Amino acid sequence: MLGGGAVAGAFGSLLGLGGGILLVPLLTLGFDLPLPQAVGVSLVSVIMTSSAAAGVYLERHVANLRLGMTLELFTAIGALVGGSIAFLLDERLLSALFAGLLGYVAFSMARARSVEPGLETPTAGEMETSREEPIASALDALSGEGYRVRNLGRGVVGSTGAGVASALFGIGGGIIKVPLMHLSMGVPLRIATATSNLMIGITAAASAVIYLVRGEIDPYVAGPTAIGVFLGASLGSRLAHRIDLRYLRLLFVVVLLYTAVQMLLRAFR
Amino acid sequence: MTRPTARRTAAAERRIGRLLIAMTYVAVALLVVGVVLMAAAGISPLAGGPPFDPAAVPAELAAATPAGFLWLGLLAVIATPIVRVIGAAISYGSTAEWTMVAVSVAILAVIALGVTIALAATA
Repeated sequence: MLGGGAVAGAFGSLLGLGGGILLVPLLTLGFDLPLPQAVGVSLVSVIMTSSAAAGVYLERHVANLRLGMTLELFTAIGALVGGSIAFLLDERLLSALFAGLLGYVAFSMARARSVEPGLETPTAGEMETSREEPIASALDALSGEGYRVRNLGRGVVGSTGAGVASALFGIGGGIIKVPLMHLSMGVPLRIATATSNLMIGITAAASAVIYLVRGEIDPYVAGPTAIGVFLGASLGSRLAHRIDLRYLRLLFVVVLLYTAVQMLLRAFR
Repeated sequence: MTRPTARRTAAAERRIGRLLIAMTYVAVALLVVGVVLMAAAGISPLAGGPPFDPAAVPAELAAATPAGFLWLGLLAVIATPIVRVIGAAISYGSTAEWTMVAVSVAILAVIALGVTIALAATA
């Protein structure tokens, strides 16, 4: 469990994802844990890795705390909704939905190279248009040095969705939040990544407390797994510049697709 | 934002960042102690841990049981981002940024509502 957590954490760290996307299938398929328990353990692991990274980002002033806190109000609301409905849904339906999520992430990673050139900050024209919005002063307050936040409404809707996904599947939701902030809201990629990391803590904590109170967090599973993910993520961040991420990304896509099929088989078992 | 306010905000963010890092390492240390005690006692991770009972944690810690340290570590993990929001609220309050104080309080209220709903569902 410690080793599995370490692999999930290292993969996640190297590819800019939380470990949750691999951890939940590992615990359900590898250790035959019920899905809600796997999600509860994954949420704890995700909080631990994100807190350490978010601390560093805040110290270095990379994360936008105002924007992060504004959006995490809505990720927390989404997490509250997701954490409440997770226990009403059939486990097989959740497994099928998780398989869909894995497929989406695999697809996103496979086409990441072709998307990257489009990841640009807003043009002057776009910024001028958004200045006419009635909530311009609020957007100004959330903006940072050298960029101006736009499309707050989309950010609110997307963040709520990310919160629901986080609570249902035990993921940090960065796969939704980073593109949302960067592509829709005009936040530079580095700041969007750091701010998303900051938000993951509260998003996951809002649903983790629900899983904790409902008895879905087993300390004997969560302890070793969380330590493994933490060590793996720390190792991954040190190895990132020594590894050719193209091959790792390809390997990850294959692993995700294989896991998606296994989760689908579990759903229809 | 005026320059003194920006400086105060930057200093507050540094403090919050350090708090996050410190709390994470405390949580990791508690979990490591719990896992070492688990291994020493020959407990398998799949043995099925005791249910969460906040009132029992101090006694379990005093008896140096694995579950005591693991629960305290897990609580520290979950509390870390919540403490960060409280810290941010205090910092925004000191610079009279009442909108951000309201956002912080709303986040804490949502988490409290989640706990209340979960408690009601398990009662």
